[in-house]
Amino acid sequence: MTHCVMVGASYDPAVRTLTLGVPRERAPREKRVAIVPGVVAKLKELGFEVVVESGAGEAAGYGDDSYRDVGATIASASDGPYREGAASAYGCDVVVKVMPFEHDELAKLREGATTISLLYPARNPELVKALAARGVTAIALDKIPRITRAQKMDVLSSMANLAGYRAVLEAAAAFQGFFGAQVTAAGTERPARILVIGAGVAGLAAIAAGRALGAEVRAFDVRAAAKEQVESLGGKFLTVELDESGEGAGGYAKSMSKEFIEAEMALFRAQAKEVDVIVTTALVPGAKAPILVGDDVVACLKPGSVVVDLAAEQGGNCSLTKPGEAVVHEGVTILGYTDLPSRMAATSSRFFAGNVLALLSDMARAPAGGEAGFRVDLEDEVVRAATLTHGGQELPPPPPPEPSPPAPKKDAPTIAKKPEPKPESAGAIVFGILMAVAFTLVAFYAPDAFVQRFTVFILACFVGWQVVWAVAPALHTPLMSVTNAVSGIVLVGGLLQAAPGGSSLAVILGLCALLVATINVAGGFFVTDRMLGMFKKGGPR
Amino acid sequence: MSPQAVTVAYLASAVLFIVGIKGFAKPDTAKTGNALTILGMLIAVAVTGLVAFSATTEGLPFVAGTIAIGAVIGALLARSLPMTAMPELVGLLNSFGGLAAVFVGISSYLAPGHAYTTEAERNVHLVECWLGVAIGSLTFTGSVVAWAKLRGTLSGKPLLFPGRHLLNLALVGATIGLAWPFVGEASTDAGLTWILALTAITGVLGITLVLAIGGADMPVVISLLNSYSGWAGAMTGFVLQNDVLIVSGAIVGSSGIILTIVMCRGMNRSVLNVVFGGFGTEGGGPARKVEGEVRELDVAAVAAALSTAKEVVIVPGYGMAVARAQHPVKELVELVQAHGGRVRFAIHPVAGRLPGHMNVLLAEAGVPYDLVHEMETINTDFPKTDVVLVIGANDIVNPAAVDDPNSAIAGMPVLHVWESALTVVFKRSLGAGYAGVDNALFLHERTRMLFGDAKKTADALVAALRNV
Repeated sequence: MTHCVMVGASYDPAVRTLTLGVPRERAPREKRVAIVPGVVAKLKELGFEVVVESGAGEAAGYGDDSYRDVGATIASASDGPYREGAASAYGCDVVVKVMPFEHDELAKLREGATTISLLYPARNPELVKALAARGVTAIALDKIPRITRAQKMDVLSSMANLAGYRAVLEAAAAFQGFFGAQVTAAGTERPARILVIGAGVAGLAAIAAGRALGAEVRAFDVRAAAKEQVESLGGKFLTVELDESGEGAGGYAKSMSKEFIEAEMALFRAQAKEVDVIVTTALVPGAKAPILVGDDVVACLKPGSVVVDLAAEQGGNCSLTKPGEAVVHEGVTILGYTDLPSRMAATSSRFFAGNVLALLSDMARAPAGGEAGFRVDLEDEVVRAATLTHGGQELPPPPPPEPSPPAPKKDAPTIAKKPEPKPESAGAIVFGILMAVAFTLVAFYAPDAFVQRFTVFILACFVGWQVVWAVAPALHTPLMSVTNAVSGIVLVGGLLQAAPGGSSLAVILGLCALLVATINVAGGFFVTDRMLGMFKKGGPR
Repeated sequence: MSPQAVTVAYLASAVLFIVGIKGFAKPDTAKTGNALTILGMLIAVAVTGLVAFSATTEGLPFVAGTIAIGAVIGALLARSLPMTAMPELVGLLNSFGGLAAVFVGISSYLAPGHAYTTEAERNVHLVECWLGVAIGSLTFTGSVVAWAKLRGTLSGKPLLFPGRHLLNLALVGATIGLAWPFVGEASTDAGLTWILALTAITGVLGITLVLAIGGADMPVVISLLNSYSGWAGAMTGFVLQNDVLIVSGAIVGSSGIILTIVMCRGMNRSVLNVVFGGFGTEGGGPARKVEGEVRELDVAAVAAALSTAKEVVIVPGYGMAVARAQHPVKELVELVQAHGGRVRFAIHPVAGRLPGHMNVLLAEAGVPYDLVHEMETINTDFPKTDVVLVIGANDIVNPAAVDDPNSAIAGMPVLHVWESALTVVFKRSLGAGYAGVDNALFLHERTRMLFGDAKKTADALVAALRNV
């Protein structure tokens, strides 16, 4: 049995190109548009004729003319159900939207068409049923598997990235202080402290944005693999003292034990006393978001603090979140905006369209021995996972992907992490004894003049020790040659011995010393200079 | 010049040495540091000259001539030798320092420069001469052997003859024991015989000590000998009652000791273990056998991987120095950068035959020093690295150091290249490294081998990358 189906099989592709419709978004406060003018030319190359509903891109800053200029057709808003031959963005072979379809939109779709949008099937089971009943092939962008090949199509990641960035900006606007440290004549300010809970794509973007504004950022995530990513962005990674990995399938975290959650809450309460901003990004696929910032955690926050809840759309990570709203609770502002990507509609639309284009080009790729052209290939891992309805049926969910392997434990072997040369302590003791003996001998037997020189010697050893430890390891070779040259200062001795002149053995030996020592000095200095001349810093590229 | 003026001038010179070497903390200030050190040296020499020739100028032409000849020879040596011969040159110059200390010690014994007022003063002076000559002679012959080993005149293999520890012990005993008859000897002629015998004994000691040390341990030996030449200088300062010698000798001595410690930490071995050879004889059980399949990759495939890589790290080793591959490697860096990748170098503390050897070679090829990173700063970045090129390095990238407690190099800090997405190893053949330990890295599932001479391979890679 094959699952390879040509869309619009009743049409002859040679006679008719496929149409791709871009309706205006209906959801309140949704400013994004699924396709931007910038990708229209590439869609044409894939064989699509693009039909855009009038005003679809207006809110994102892409007027009808900007679509017309690149060769798209503008269709007027259609109210009635599908009619063959009528110019409508909904009546196309492929219909692309950002938000899930609303029930009254379904009648406008052509039977056998393909829809591409976010769908959130777990939250919208009736919608999926209705799409199946309408006889369309529904592809849910939120169900694209999180595998390497599909990264370029991953709308959730690209939107989460924007949301994380925007979350920090919204927090900064609501927060009544500087984010970065300030040192001014009027006083100094420590940097604001941000706690990011959940270091996924959104969390990492929030960390980067917070750091860029100069704030001090801590982050918590149950997945050990997140530590490195957090630290690479300059955040501090927080952990609880319990050994449990939260690595789940598809890059999400799995649910944790009761003990772990208690330890986690204790950590958040402690952190809340210190931080100014909390950004929460914890989502559990297909379920209500977990409450991580309860009333007790909010109570620990200082007045003027800000909580940004990126999980607001799925119920929120904060117990006080009102989805879509900003509320103030005892001086703490809790932002539950659900339209963060929409607040950057021009950019988020561009990213969204880029993801859709990547999906469409992947679907239009020529199969082995076949011709290029858009098709819904259910043998394809990515397409199969994202396709929810096909041929009037709801498709069962595909087998889940393998969980990503846990981070290798670095300290597994029995060897100590930081190897210290063992005999150092023994060496220190021996050294100490030798010094004590030397000091005693000098103190009791040496003449005055010697003691003076001995003092100079010991102090010089300490100075040398301090100065040389500061030398950059990259310069160890030049250091060696310059100290080599300095050690040639014995030439001073040769000079003193040779000065009286004449031909006594002492003078001749002095001259010999002078010769070899001068070679040492001159050679050492010249070669050091030659080496240092080669050390160059990289210029701006 | 008044004695106060001389003291102050010497003080100035000592301060210049300290400030000058402090300048080596950063590449930006190192050149100034070198200039200040030179200035310190010039002041010390000039002042000593003024003092020495205040009474008579009889020896002046000889002294001036000798200095001129020495300076020309030194400058010619420093200018003419290629950068790859730098380890040898440092060893050679070091031997001169030691030799000079021997000459000065003997000369000062023969003509003390001032009359002794007490018996104790005489004894102290004689002991100082004795120590100065002993350390100087040891430094001289040891450095000569190290020089010969580094340039390949002598085999790099450690020469471990039976009973060498006993012989060395006997030589040390003789060095100390013979001091008594020497100090007790009233006649200078007889004393001269003693001190020449001492020169010979410590000279032999220097040879036997360094012969027993392998080629790859030469960085430690050179550092240690560098330190000895400093102590010899400081001893000479005691002999001549000259503070500037004492200060500079102490700085050089400390510097050498520190470099030695750095090297030894880099290998997780004690100084004694390095100095007395006997490498790889410790360890509990047998080292884990390394078995598996070696996968090769051709130049075109490596070029393709480099052209798309975002993060590239290059790990150079002694093999790069031997093949003189640093110049094509530099071109490689530029080409990868042109393809949009970031390239950095990871330098292990004991890579090469001198501390900081790799840095100098890369600097010579024109690689900006801010691309060159030390092990500690870059070792955590390998999981984020797309391609690692290991060029002529072996033990410093061996995972056995981390995960096999029975390996001869267990516990040695190594570069964790195997954590990257792809590791390409440039290698002449599939042999073990200096430590004689098999390298599981070569069999790792994400490692590919690129066999051949490092320079030819790098050249081919440059050509291939140009055409991508």
